[in-house]
Amino acid sequence: MATFSPSTHCPSSSPYSNDSSVINRFHQRIALSSIRPKQCRPRKLSLQQSSLPKAVHLQDGASTKKASPVKSDGPVKILKDGILSVPPVTPPEESIDIAKFDFDKENSTVSITVVGASGDLAKKKIFPALFALYYEGCLPKHFTIFGYARSKMSDAELRTMVSKTLTCRIDQRENCGEKMDQFLERCFYHPGQYDSQENFLELDKKLKEHEDGRVANRLFYLSIPPNIFIDAVKCASTSASAATGWTRVIVEKPFGRDSESSAALTRSLKQYLDEDQIFRIDHYLGKELVENLSVLRFSNLIFEPLWSRQYIRNVQFIFAEDFGTEGRGGYFDNYGIIRDIMQNHLLQILALFAMETPVSLDAEDIRNEKVKVLRSMRPLQLDDVVIGQYKSHTRGGVKYPAYIDDKTVPNDSLTPTFAAAALFIDNARWDGVPFLMKAGKALHDRRAEIRVQFRHVPGNLYNKNIGTDLDLATNELVIRVQPDEAIYLKINNKVPGLGMRLDRSNLNLLYAARYAKEIPDAYERLLLDAIEGERRLFIRSDELDAAWSLFTPVLKELEEKKIVPEYYPYGSRGPVGSHYLAARYKVRWGDVGSEQ
Amino acid sequence: MATQISPCSSSSTTFSPSSLNQEPFSSAKLVNFSRKSSPSRWVFKIHSRINPKNQFELKSSNGYPLNAVSLQDGAAEKPLAKEIVLPEQTESNLSVTVVGASGDLAKKKIFPALFALFYEDCLPRNFVIFGYARTKMTDEELRETISRTLTCRIDKRENCGDKMEEFLQRCFYHSGQYNSEENFAELDSKLKHKEDGKLSNRLFYLSIPPNIFVDSVRCASGKASSKTGWTRVIVEKPFGRDSESSAELTRSLKKYLAEDQIFRIDHYLGKELVENLSVLRFSNLVFEPLWSRNYIRNVQFIFSEDFGTEGRGGYFDNYGIIRDIMQNHLLQILALFAMETPVSLDAEDIRNEKVKVLKSMRRLKLEDVVIGQYKGGKSYLGYTEDPTVPNDSLTPTFAAAALFIDNARWDGVPFLMKAGKALNTRRAEIRVQFRHVPGNLYKKNFGMDMDKATNELVLRVQPDEAIYLKINNKVPGLGMRLDRSDLNLLYSMRYPKEIPDAYERLLLDAIEGERRLFIRSDELDAAWSIFTPLLKELETKKIAPELYPYGSRGPVGAHYLAAKYNVRWGDVTGEE
Repeated sequence: MATFSPSTHCPSSSPYSNDSSVINRFHQRIALSSIRPKQCRPRKLSLQQSSLPKAVHLQDGASTKKASPVKSDGPVKILKDGILSVPPVTPPEESIDIAKFDFDKENSTVSITVVGASGDLAKKKIFPALFALYYEGCLPKHFTIFGYARSKMSDAELRTMVSKTLTCRIDQRENCGEKMDQFLERCFYHPGQYDSQENFLELDKKLKEHEDGRVANRLFYLSIPPNIFIDAVKCASTSASAATGWTRVIVEKPFGRDSESSAALTRSLKQYLDEDQIFRIDHYLGKELVENLSVLRFSNLIFEPLWSRQYIRNVQFIFAEDFGTEGRGGYFDNYGIIRDIMQNHLLQILALFAMETPVSLDAEDIRNEKVKVLRSMRPLQLDDVVIGQYKSHTRGGVKYPAYIDDKTVPNDSLTPTFAAAALFIDNARWDGVPFLMKAGKALHDRRAEIRVQFRHVPGNLYNKNIGTDLDLATNELVIRVQPDEAIYLKINNKVPGLGMRLDRSNLNLLYAARYAKEIPDAYERLLLDAIEGERRLFIRSDELDAAWSLFTPVLKELEEKKIVPEYYPYGSRGPVGSHYLAARYKVRWGDVGSEQ
Repeated sequence: MATQISPCSSSSTTFSPSSLNQEPFSSAKLVNFSRKSSPSRWVFKIHSRINPKNQFELKSSNGYPLNAVSLQDGAAEKPLAKEIVLPEQTESNLSVTVVGASGDLAKKKIFPALFALFYEDCLPRNFVIFGYARTKMTDEELRETISRTLTCRIDKRENCGDKMEEFLQRCFYHSGQYNSEENFAELDSKLKHKEDGKLSNRLFYLSIPPNIFVDSVRCASGKASSKTGWTRVIVEKPFGRDSESSAELTRSLKKYLAEDQIFRIDHYLGKELVENLSVLRFSNLVFEPLWSRNYIRNVQFIFSEDFGTEGRGGYFDNYGIIRDIMQNHLLQILALFAMETPVSLDAEDIRNEKVKVLKSMRRLKLEDVVIGQYKGGKSYLGYTEDPTVPNDSLTPTFAAAALFIDNARWDGVPFLMKAGKALNTRRAEIRVQFRHVPGNLYKKNFGMDMDKATNELVLRVQPDEAIYLKINNKVPGLGMRLDRSDLNLLYSMRYPKEIPDAYERLLLDAIEGERRLFIRSDELDAAWSIFTPLLKELETKKIAPELYPYGSRGPVGAHYLAAKYNVRWGDVTGEE
């Protein structure tokens, strides 16, 4: 549609980076004067993206927080000085792009070091995501990727390992093989201990070689167990930080087990890193429909007026996996489903859902609002939680194992593999509205969705057509995050024909039907954001604290009182206790109705 | 989840035992008709067409000699039902007399609709259909004519032939003059013969030119009214040409009929999505809060046909598109759209609210109207080239108008209407354009014109019934591009069943005495008073219409009219 900026390039995640022509011109001007060239365009790329000056502070973690355009990065200055004096008349875009392009091409590079390169996540998600970004032309011209792990491996071996998991996007398969080879050429490996300054120094030296005197920006992706986080951060930061550009570190959950351990982790990280160098990833925030949640709310007139206790009866956040720990329960058993899914993924989505309108789409503005919501929430009470654990179940001659049958799990484990919880936000907008969460493993299907159940129509003229339970016929907005991304709104509708029968139909948008393009993996988006310094989708320390303080008391209580989980058969719909919990707050789970 | 509720019947037996008692008039003079005649009629729906047994039990446990009961006798066609013998006095007979049986509307719409109702078991057990016209014809000949246009519903074709045969056996013909009391008296004795002493309910469908309306009403009511049951008369537009002639017609009709015997049909009100409009508004929490000037920027009612008068412009030329489409169909939809919440779904409650809206509307002014007339091209004849149209005719075949409702809910919101013949598409739809998001965070992702990116709710009445809501959405992928996507409901995807023709619904309602979809006299007066001054001005000033090519999008003047009120027509954008 003409109205919306069509971007032909791989666009950035920055909310400011769209290419509508007007904005673009404006944007070009800014980019020019501040030397923040546009991000992620094929061939014309740069690392320090930021289109508007206000975002600038945040952009350069490594260099300086107060980066005014003039000050920011040394090497960038030359051009900047020349151009800053240019009056605000937009020169032909072409020339700017070229100037920027030549400049960046020669002068900066980004090295991405995947620490823990032999791990599962690295193989399944990180390398493929990096390749996808490369394939789409979203990576800078000069980049190198280093795998770092303890195993001895040659570059070639790493490449073989990586290549096994690379795939090309369905919608543009051309040159895939070629591209893959080019990508693999940029991948290297360095073996080393995670706590060895020396090994990281060696890495630093190798990185320098590849950087070849250009502005060096370095991104470390820590894909390692939590107990070695700090050591690795210490070594990376002291021995392998970029001397000229920025250094950023992506860390994955778990961020501690409770308020105290999380705070301790944050404190330790901050010994070596500034807040804006830390990128705490929650890959759910990178999911397409979670990103779209704010778009839906804030760019459509029809939703915002409904977004409050006045119209919303309850909100449900549902996560289900149809498989168990399958022999890999060692890590999980130490955390449990509440820490693994609820306290982070579901709570983050809840915060995005419930936050007030932020001042802008800037990362800090959004995260400020999220923190406010989290801090308005009541800490979870034991009464408001139901936990479950799957037991073995034989179906169709196949025996599915119980959680405790997993060899990596202690036989007497009480760790919940299922949990349902009712949360409340004590603010003006949401007072009294139950926010229900449900997350579980080894359930009957795999899904993640947000369900918003609206109140019933007051004084509904059609009440008599609806039956005794008015709540069964209320509107419901469903945002299905996975699988088969979709948005639909259940409305009451007249069944066509003579007479007057009502029926709930869906006004729907199935992504697969509307958008032919494959939806990028969450990791692609998040990696790109980290490279570009866009922090919107990463979790700030105070957010993390607020999130933990909601769950820590109940987690402790569960453990101290050794609360026994309700057992549910593998492949079932989970413990029935969750229905009673919902019923207590007059809620009916939307995902297990006869209809969907 | 489909909730129970009735099939064909729109009134109920068990819950409205009073409804027939109130209609025992013996002549044309009508008895008190409490507007609460059947309390919340289409609300209490117990019967399911699919389950006639059920229906029957309810009825027999009721036992009242009600008209509603008699309707249920349709079920008696089922073998099971036949075994249950009803008390003699509950037997009633419905006769439907189509006056003007040889006309086009009768052949194309009325008889097929009656057959469809019969096929769906929506007609009472005892019914007869009479065709009445001037042409000499035998019953057989009538049957022959009718049978050519009967079709069976797509979704259940079984027994269609049998059913058709049964139906045709109930069809008879009587030839007579429309103004002859004598001929109607003959009709009366034929009807009596068929009724065979049963309680007689009679419905006359006047499918005749307006100049003979009153005469035939006089004859029908004087000579062929039911003595024991009810007598109702369905009349079709035109209901006059302006306030005065319409009032005159109403006065004449009322000499012979009581208000609640008159069923003024506006077949647009029988369209599925027009019926659904109230359901959408009032049974969904998500719409009603938005239904006001606070959120709605403008509303558009669009009607277009992709053909001209095609040699049948004689009637049309005397009326023009404003009278033919706007003053009735579009205005009725507007009233339904904009009315306040009625006290109940009762016909009188709804019509009261519609009248209120119409009375709150500003008289249409000349400067708020654009008229057009189509001209010929290489392969198409222009309007004035139609042999049945005068060469110098200024009659508009296209009109666009901006209307305003001066009440608290709608003050300042333009309601735009557009209707035309010989345009590029055939469609009828309602478009609701919402305001832009105040302080939109994503402003920078839109272009210059915020209004182009607003939400829009579209109810497409025809063709391909659909409801969709345009929303802004993120284009999947890296980066942040917004796009308008549709949250949609295409009827043909969701509901495989064929949607009944508007005439079926309306005939059934008339049979059942459900007046919700028929136009009351005061509604009609209010509707005329909005348009009459303008129509007179157009005619006295001999305003020349803007000519537009056959098959085009209509006169560009429509865009300037819209622009004057900061509106952009939703149907002629690049997307769609």
